[in-house]
Amino acid sequence: MPDNILEVKNLTKWFPLRRGIWQFLRGQQRYARAVDGVSFVIERGEILGLIGESGCGKTTTGKLIMKLMEASSGEIIFNGENVTHLRRPELQKYRRSVQMIFQDPYASMNPRFKIRSVLQEPIVIHSLGRSYNEREAMITKALEEVKLMPATDFMSRFPHMLSGGQRQRAATARALILTPSMLVADEPVSMIDLSTRAEILQMMKTLHKELNLTYLYITHDLSTARYFTDRIAVMYLGKIVEIGAAEDVVEKPGHPYTRALIEAVCEPVTGKLDLIKHLPIKEGEIPSPANIPKGCRFHTRCIHAKPECWEQAEPDLIEIGNKHKVACRRYNEIK
Amino acid sequence: MSAQDLTYWLKDFWNEFKKVPSGIIGVVILLLALAIVFFEHQILPFPDGNTRWRDITYWDDNPKSAPPVWTNIFRSKKLATSARLALGEKKMNAMEGLQCVEQTFDYDYQFDSPPLDIIIRVKGKSSVLLVIKLARPDNFGVELLQAQFDFLGDEEKRLSLDSDARKSLPDFLSQFAAPEAVRTIDPSTIVPTRVLFAKTQDILTNPQPLKGKYRFTVTAILMQEDSKIHDTSIVISGSTAGLLGTDSGKRDIFTGIIAGTKWALLLGILTALISVGIGVVYGVVSAYFGGVVDTIMSRVFEIFVSVPLLPVLIVMSAVFKPSIWVLILMMCCFFWTGPVKTVRSMALQLKEETYIEATRALGGSHLRLIFKHMVPILIPYSFASMALSVPSAIVYEATISLIGLGDATIVTWGQILHDALTGGAVLSSIWWWVIPPGLMISLMGMTFAFIGFAMDKILHPKLRTR
Amino acid sequence: MTNVLEVNNLKLYYYTSKGVVRALDDITFSLQEGETLGIVGESGCGKTTAGLALLNMPMPPGKIAGGQIIIDGQDIVPLAEKEMRRHVRWQKIAMVFQGAMNCLTPVFTIGKLMMETMLEHKTMKKEEAWHIIEKYLGYVGLPAGVTKRYPHELSGGMKQRVVIAMALFMNPKVVVFDEPTTALDVIVQCQILNLIKKLKLEKALLSCIFITHDLATEAEVANRIMVMYGGKIAEIGTNQQIYSERAAHPYTKKLLAATPRLHQKVDHLSFIPGAPPDLLAPPTGCRFHLRCEVAMGKCSAQEPPLIEIEPDHKVACWKVGYKE
Repeated sequence: MPDNILEVKNLTKWFPLRRGIWQFLRGQQRYARAVDGVSFVIERGEILGLIGESGCGKTTTGKLIMKLMEASSGEIIFNGENVTHLRRPELQKYRRSVQMIFQDPYASMNPRFKIRSVLQEPIVIHSLGRSYNEREAMITKALEEVKLMPATDFMSRFPHMLSGGQRQRAATARALILTPSMLVADEPVSMIDLSTRAEILQMMKTLHKELNLTYLYITHDLSTARYFTDRIAVMYLGKIVEIGAAEDVVEKPGHPYTRALIEAVCEPVTGKLDLIKHLPIKEGEIPSPANIPKGCRFHTRCIHAKPECWEQAEPDLIEIGNKHKVACRRYNEIK
Repeated sequence: MSAQDLTYWLKDFWNEFKKVPSGIIGVVILLLALAIVFFEHQILPFPDGNTRWRDITYWDDNPKSAPPVWTNIFRSKKLATSARLALGEKKMNAMEGLQCVEQTFDYDYQFDSPPLDIIIRVKGKSSVLLVIKLARPDNFGVELLQAQFDFLGDEEKRLSLDSDARKSLPDFLSQFAAPEAVRTIDPSTIVPTRVLFAKTQDILTNPQPLKGKYRFTVTAILMQEDSKIHDTSIVISGSTAGLLGTDSGKRDIFTGIIAGTKWALLLGILTALISVGIGVVYGVVSAYFGGVVDTIMSRVFEIFVSVPLLPVLIVMSAVFKPSIWVLILMMCCFFWTGPVKTVRSMALQLKEETYIEATRALGGSHLRLIFKHMVPILIPYSFASMALSVPSAIVYEATISLIGLGDATIVTWGQILHDALTGGAVLSSIWWWVIPPGLMISLMGMTFAFIGFAMDKILHPKLRTR
Repeated sequence: MTNVLEVNNLKLYYYTSKGVVRALDDITFSLQEGETLGIVGESGCGKTTAGLALLNMPMPPGKIAGGQIIIDGQDIVPLAEKEMRRHVRWQKIAMVFQGAMNCLTPVFTIGKLMMETMLEHKTMKKEEAWHIIEKYLGYVGLPAGVTKRYPHELSGGMKQRVVIAMALFMNPKVVVFDEPTTALDVIVQCQILNLIKKLKLEKALLSCIFITHDLATEAEVANRIMVMYGGKIAEIGTNQQIYSERAAHPYTKKLLAATPRLHQKVDHLSFIPGAPPDLLAPPTGCRFHLRCEVAMGKCSAQEPPLIEIEPDHKVACWKVGYKE
C-alpha cells in the first residue's frame, strides 16, 4: 500500500454564474472559482487540518473529496487509484473507505429517524449485515466505539433527544459502521458547546489511534487545529497559501495571511484589555471567488504587497524548510 | 416516531386545530358523514335501495312524487303518510279440518286526506284462500277481498286496494247510502281509500275522514296439505312519503341521499389520496434532480394545470362510458397537479439539508433519498391540498353525472340531480328532489374545504398573517 | 465609581406547558460606569435570557418573577411596556441581539432601516437624524455611503457594525452585546472586538455587557467576568482573577482547561463530562455537583451561596472559602 492515502492534484471546482442576455449571446461564461487548483497529500494515519475563512473553498474541497460534487478538473487519488470521476458501483466501494462528519449535528440526521434507523442506513445501503442480530451487533459496536453507552438505550432515541455532543458522536458512529480508513470532518465541533468540544476532539483522537484512521479536519478555528492536527494547510480564496507541520505553521507562519489569522485569534489569558490589535492585513473584505485578483490572490489585502505581487504570475508553493511550504513571492524579504 | 411522540404531536395538532372554528365544523360534519356510511344499513328505510335504485318494481309501493312527511307540519289538512304496517297478532286455528292462519295489522289513521292506496303483499305456496277484512273504529266492518290464490313455487302476490277491492265496495256503501244511489255509481269512479276511511255520514257525496284505529285482518285458509303462507305485509301508500319524499319514479330520495354518501366520500377521498400521492412524488422528483429534469417536469406540470378539466372529462366520459373507478382514475390524471408547486418548493429547501447530503455521502441511492427521506417529511404538508381536492372531485363527479355520463350501476348525488333534471322536477316544482342532493354536494365540498383551510393554516404557519 | 446598573435577586421563569423553567434564579450583580461585564456559560445556562431581562423584555412564556433591575437609579421591573419603550429601552439600555445582523429587513436600504430605528425611539427632524446616523457610522468605521446600500450587499462584519451603530444612536448608558462575534470569521471577529474597544476608549462612560460562550473572546474585552451555570452565578471576578490561577470555581477551571490554546501544544484537553442540567428539574444542592470532580456530600444536599473570597471576587462553591 502506498504511504499516501490521499493525493489531491490541482483540484478545481468552478461554479458557472448566471449569465445576462448579452453574455449569453456572446457565448461568455463567468465562473465562481470556489476551489482553484488545490494540491496536497495526506499520509496514512495523518491528521491534516484545512483552515480558512468562510468562502475560501475549504468545505467545497471536502465535498469534492467525498464525491458529493464533481470536480471541474484535477485529480483525486485514493490509495493509488484515481477516484476523480468514479461512478457506481466502484463509487460505493470508495464510500466505504472514505466517510464524512458534518458540521451541524442537529441537521445531519433525519429528525424522523431513531438513532437505530440512522445507523442502520449505511448497513442497508451497502447490504452489510446478513441477519437482524448481526446488524444489531454492528450498531451496538459502533455506538460503543464512540462511547454512547448503554447502546440499546441510545438506539431507541430520536436525534432531538440527544445533546449536541451526543449527536456528533452518533454521526461519527454512523460513519464508522462502514469501517472507513479516512474521515473528512467538516467543522465537527464548531457548533458544540465549549465544555463538550474537547470531549469530541478527544474521542476523535482516540479513534484515530485505535482504528488507525486518517482525518481531513476542515475548520476555521486555528486553536482546535493546533491541538488536533499534525499538519495544517491554510486556504485563501480557493487556493492553499501555506502548508506545513501544525507547530511550524502556528509558531513560524510564512505567509502574511497566516500571520494575520494567527494574530486575530483570541486567547483566554489576561492582560489584553484595552489593547487594540493591529492585524497585519488591510481593512476590507475577502474578494469574491467570481473575481479573484490577478497575480498573487492575496495582494489586495496584503500590507507587504509590491507591484511585483500583482504584475507577475501567481506564486507557487515554495519549500521554506521541513516540508513547510509557502506561496509568497516576498517571503524572504518580509520574514 | 414513537407512540408517545405521535400522541404528543396529535395533541399539539389538535390544540392548534381547536383554534380554527371552521375546521371544527368541518370535522363534525365529516364525522357525521362517516357515521352515515358506517350505519348505512340501520338508517336506510329501503335496505335494497342501494342495489335496486333503478329497479322500478322495487319502488312500486311508494307514491309518486310525494312530498316529504314533515311538510304536513305546514299544512292545515294533513295528508296521509306512507307507512308499512306492523304485524299485530298471528293466530293459527283449524276450521273444518283446514288449517287457517289469521294475521292482524293495526292502522292508526289521523289524517285529513286518505292515503292513495293500500298494498297487501303475500307470499305462499300452493292453494290458499285469502280473506281480507277491515274493521273500522265505528265498528263497521268490510270484507275487502275473498279469493283463492294458487301460488306457483314461492311466488309473491301483490294485491292493491285500488284494483282488487273495488268489488266489495258497493256492499259496504249500501249500508249507509240509498241503495239506488249506490247502484247508479260506476264502481270504477269510487276511490276505495276515500270511502273506507270516511265517516258514514255523506259517505258518497262528501266523505269526511274518520280518524281512529283501523284493523286489517288477513285470514288465509290453507286448502291443501302443502299450502303455506308467510311474509304478509301491508303498506300504506300515502300522499307524503319518507324524510325527503319520492321522485317521479316512486324512489325514496332519502335512501338515495344516504346511499350516495359513501360514494361521494369514496370518490372524493380516493381521488384526493391517489392524486396527492402522485403530486408529492412528482414534486419531490422534480426538485431533487433539478436542472433539465426539473425544467421538463415543470413544463409538463404547467400543461396539465392549464388544461381545462371539465371539457376533457366530459369528452372522455362520453367516449368511455366510465364506471366510478375509471372516473376516479381520470380525475386523478388531472388532480395530481394540486400539491406539486408547494411540494416542489419545499423539496428544494429540503434537499439542501445536511442529512440528505450525509445520506448521499453514505452512498444512498436516489430512490432511497426520495422515498425514505424526502417524501415522508413532505406528506403532512400536502394534507391541506388533499382536503381541498376532495370537494372538487365530488363536484366534478356530480357534474359528469348531471349531464348523464356517470356510472349507471350506483347512485350518486349527481345522478339524483340528473334524474330530477330529466324528470322535470323543476317544472313541476318537486323541490324535494332537487334541493337535498344539491345541498349535500355543497355541504360535503364545504366540509373538506373547511378542514383543508384549517390544516393549511396550521401546517403552513408561514402563510399565517397573525 | 458609580453603579450604572444594579441587578438584585433577579428571577426569570419560563412558564412552559411542561413546568416552570427557572432560567434565572436569584441573580445579583452590578455594573460600574465605563466597565464591561462579560457573561459566559454553556448554551442554556441563561446568559441570553439575562440579556433580555435587562431590557425587561423576556421571551414568552418567560416572566420576571421577582427582583430588581436598577438602571440609573430607577427600577425598571415594575415599568409598563409603553414606559419602557419610550424612556428606557435604547435611551438608557440598548442591545445588540444575537444574529441581529442577519435580521436586517432585506427590502430596505441601510439608511432607511437606521432612520426608522431612530424615529421609533425619538421624534426629531430628518436632517438631524441623518446627521446622527452619519456620526455613528463614522464611530463604527463605516463610510456614509453604506446608507444607500441594501443589507445583502454588505458583508457580515459590515452588517454587525451597522447593528452596533444602531444600538448606540440614543447614547445609552449600557449596551448589551449578545454573541456579537459568533458566526464571524476570526479576522472580522478581531476587527469587531477592536471596534468595541475603540468605542469604549472614545466614550469613556459607556458600560457594556458582553455575552458569549467563548472565554477567549471575553478575555479581550471584559473587565469583569460572570460565569453562569444552570441559571445561577457560579463565579464572578475581575479579568485578572478569572484568567489566572485564582479562578476558584471548579466549573470555571474546567472551562478554561477545556479551551484549546493556540501557542501551547497540549496532548490531552480536559473536558466536562455529562450535560448541563435540565432547568425544569435542576439537581438539588449545587447545580454543578453531578459533573464536578471534587464534589462532596454537602454539595448534593445544600446549595452554596455566592460569597466573596477576595475583593471583587465571588464564588458559589462549598469547596472554596469554607473550612471543613
